[in-house]
Amino acid sequence: MDKLILPKDKIPGLIRGIINKYQVYAPVNNDGITLFRQIKDPSKINLDFSNSKVPPKELLFKQTETLFKFIPGKSGKINPIDIPDEKTVIFGIRPCDAKSLAILDNIFKGDYEDPYYLTKRKNTVLVGLSCTQPDVNCFCTSFDDSPVSAEYVDVLFTDIGEKYYVEVKNDKGRQLIKNMNKLFTSANEKDEKKKKEVEKKSVDIITRHMSIDGVVDKLDKIFDNSLWKAIATKCLGCGVCTYLCPTCHCFDIQDENTLTEGARVRVWDSCMNPEYTLHASGYNPRPERMNRVRNRVYHKYNYYPKNYDIVACVGCGRCIENCPVNIDIIDVISQVKGVKH
Amino acid sequence: MNKNPYQPWLATIDDTREEVAGERAIKTFKLVFQDEDVKKNFTFLPGQCAMVSLFGEGECFFAISSSPTQKDFIEVSVMKLGKVTSALHDCEPGDILGVRGPYGNSFDVDVWQGKNLVFIGGGIGQAPLRSLINYVVDNREKYGNLDVIYGARSSKDISYKKEFAELEKRKDVNVHLSIDVEEDGWKKFVGFVPTNLLKVKPSPKNTIAVTCGPPIMIKFVIQNLLELGFTEDQIFTTLEMRMKCGIGKCGRCNIGNLYVCKDGPVFSYKQLKNIQGER
Amino acid sequence: MVDQKKLKEAAKETVSRDDVKYVIGYEKGTYGFQVTPSFAFTSEDADRFIFSPLCVNNLMIYPMLEEKLPLRKDEKEDKRKIGLVVKGCDSRAAVQIIQEKGLKREDIVLIGIPCSGIIDPEKITARFPHQTKPVEVEEEGEKFVITINGKTHKISKEELLFDKCKHCENPNPVLYDILVGDEIETSKKEDYDNIKTLEKKSLKEKWEYWEKQFEKCIRCYACRNVCPMCYCKECMVDQLSPQWVQRSVNLSENTSWNIMRAFHLAGRCIGCGECERACPMGIPLTELNKKLEKDVKELFEYKSGLDAEEKPLLAMFKPDDPEEFIL
Repeated sequence: MDKLILPKDKIPGLIRGIINKYQVYAPVNNDGITLFRQIKDPSKINLDFSNSKVPPKELLFKQTETLFKFIPGKSGKINPIDIPDEKTVIFGIRPCDAKSLAILDNIFKGDYEDPYYLTKRKNTVLVGLSCTQPDVNCFCTSFDDSPVSAEYVDVLFTDIGEKYYVEVKNDKGRQLIKNMNKLFTSANEKDEKKKKEVEKKSVDIITRHMSIDGVVDKLDKIFDNSLWKAIATKCLGCGVCTYLCPTCHCFDIQDENTLTEGARVRVWDSCMNPEYTLHASGYNPRPERMNRVRNRVYHKYNYYPKNYDIVACVGCGRCIENCPVNIDIIDVISQVKGVKH
Repeated sequence: MNKNPYQPWLATIDDTREEVAGERAIKTFKLVFQDEDVKKNFTFLPGQCAMVSLFGEGECFFAISSSPTQKDFIEVSVMKLGKVTSALHDCEPGDILGVRGPYGNSFDVDVWQGKNLVFIGGGIGQAPLRSLINYVVDNREKYGNLDVIYGARSSKDISYKKEFAELEKRKDVNVHLSIDVEEDGWKKFVGFVPTNLLKVKPSPKNTIAVTCGPPIMIKFVIQNLLELGFTEDQIFTTLEMRMKCGIGKCGRCNIGNLYVCKDGPVFSYKQLKNIQGER
Repeated sequence: MVDQKKLKEAAKETVSRDDVKYVIGYEKGTYGFQVTPSFAFTSEDADRFIFSPLCVNNLMIYPMLEEKLPLRKDEKEDKRKIGLVVKGCDSRAAVQIIQEKGLKREDIVLIGIPCSGIIDPEKITARFPHQTKPVEVEEEGEKFVITINGKTHKISKEELLFDKCKHCENPNPVLYDILVGDEIETSKKEDYDNIKTLEKKSLKEKWEYWEKQFEKCIRCYACRNVCPMCYCKECMVDQLSPQWVQRSVNLSENTSWNIMRAFHLAGRCIGCGECERACPMGIPLTELNKKLEKDVKELFEYKSGLDAEEKPLLAMFKPDDPEEFIL
């Protein structure tokens, strides 16, 4: 781990240097909402944000991805496409969203490797930005993570006042700033201490807490409990939680074509739709909203952990923030803990 | 294997055969891979499935109903039910489809060597069982008794009529066909498949039972098998779900933490009993 | 300020009726300014009900979301009524749905609340960010009194009200069984000022404006799912044969979706603004719907959701309509 300092006024120069060699995605203000978009001009970057509305997973697991092209019909002509492999930088990703990419990696790797996601993942450098002002619904600390963690990024920037404390974790990160070393100076003990103070301040701002001790086992026991019906009665099945969740990975595959040409595309889908599991025969294993709401909670806190030993939630709080009827996952899990069994 | 698991190989329809006519028609398609290497090297075990696509319509997950002992082609049996299957039914020999696979787990044909086998099927559920039956018949000396119990709504709805006729002639296979309702000229059993099972009364001693068909049939077949003395790990079934990717990524076919496309579609009753999740 | 005691009494009285399944109202949310829908099956449950200027949800969505599940042989369908707490705008949704025969009048029992305006959650969280503990909000004349951690703040209503509430012509429920409190007098008028500004733009400017908005759309369909008027058994975007709108997310399909939905709501939308509130991307959906509302008013002198006996606008034909045939 290299520990460096970058004065704040050097950021535009750094970005310009990086843009020469990489595609750069950074948080921008899109009509009042922060989103990760490609930038060619460092002045477009907006670092005054808590977190982006749509998580940066949309840059690697694109909402609409063309798998291949074809000529529709029975003459079977497939035109494979080149999977984009440009060197990319996501600048300003929060530690929680970076962790979500590690969670998504497990899904897209495995026996069948997904080239669309993995090619982009391999060619993307994650430059994280520590949270100094966690939002009201942030709870990454509940998973023993920290708003200033460098664990899942290649480089981490932490704002320590007039300058950034920069941690370069690996070769991918070193390669990124290779030609701009003169912008950086070495960090000293005082700087390190400042980072620890920033961490403490940040962690203290986070007040909401989800107790996940034993949640996998408890969920095993209460599958048929009436609490799922009670929660689902409020739920509108709107799906906003799934579209904004950094660990959600469900998708649909559709053939989209005119009479003469077409493409097979992969698009985000939501398990909250009734049609999500609808069989052609009309049978639906999850016919009620209760089944779907329960399935979502179980997938994050029971099914995924059973397969990969880690809870599929990073505590970003987007689902809580955006649910139109205030279904609060922290409250749900606390209800789960409270069920007498 | 393709580097890209979403991209199918091209396969030509060599032959189509109508198994059942009418509203829920069933057709078997014989598919031959265009690429010579794929054609020679595509292997699978009974129970495994393939994603078959018609470009411009979509993809469906079908059990490969031919046996791996039959080389250079695969067969899938398709019931006409929705958008893609209806379009597939309009296809003729010479048309080109996309195929990717084989996906899923298989029946434990190696572990079951030396055992007696009972296969109980209904309707289109016979498709994966057909692969298994033909595999066992082609390796007949490796297995014990073979009882094939199959039922359909009426004699017209019986799939694989010709093959059943051939099987009935064999002395080393016991075939027990049934139809749901009385019919002129039908001299075999009349009644539901689970009832026929009780009549056949297979012994659970050193026996494996595999059942596949409509969910309601599976429920009662399993009930009756348990009554006959079969234990939970002697009973196997295959499940189906709406599927899109077939490789355990799109998330929709899960039962609890298992994906039917990847950890199934073959499950033992013991497994199914112990897993929480809608199915 | 709504009398909380009277509200609870009305709710308890309704839920205790033999012919009522449950009553839906509001209760305190899990943090800050949140308020959440509350389902009361017993009198005790109804004790949780509140009504404050934070009660933003349109509860009329719930009768339309009720799932009719397959019954066992010995089960009979529970045809009892649903009780609902409705503000002025919410009651118009009830009326409109009854007009369209989506619900029968006798299916619902309405507890009407005369509402003098709801606080825009975005405005108040911008003013008082990062509130984890629940807060109190009350009305005092033309101000809202907000109590946070024991300290009170008085903010003018003008600063915090939803834009839609500033022009509300129906603060009092147009349909109700019980009215909690006295009717409110109002001189507010819907003047469509912001729509008129949009109308003055050139066609090119209008397209640029709307394309910029529709580019943001992520097709989560939250707008459709929170809308009480969107209750089609199979929405046009979910149909596969034929597929009207592709699932790909791009400007063309997004524009199709948003404009098609706006047109399907023409003459039906009652302006509750839930679509815009639910939209995570900040698309000004109420502008789109209000424009069609204005057109409907000017062309047909019709306002949706006022008279349950009236026939729905686009399902009827008057002899003096400008066109010769219904098409």
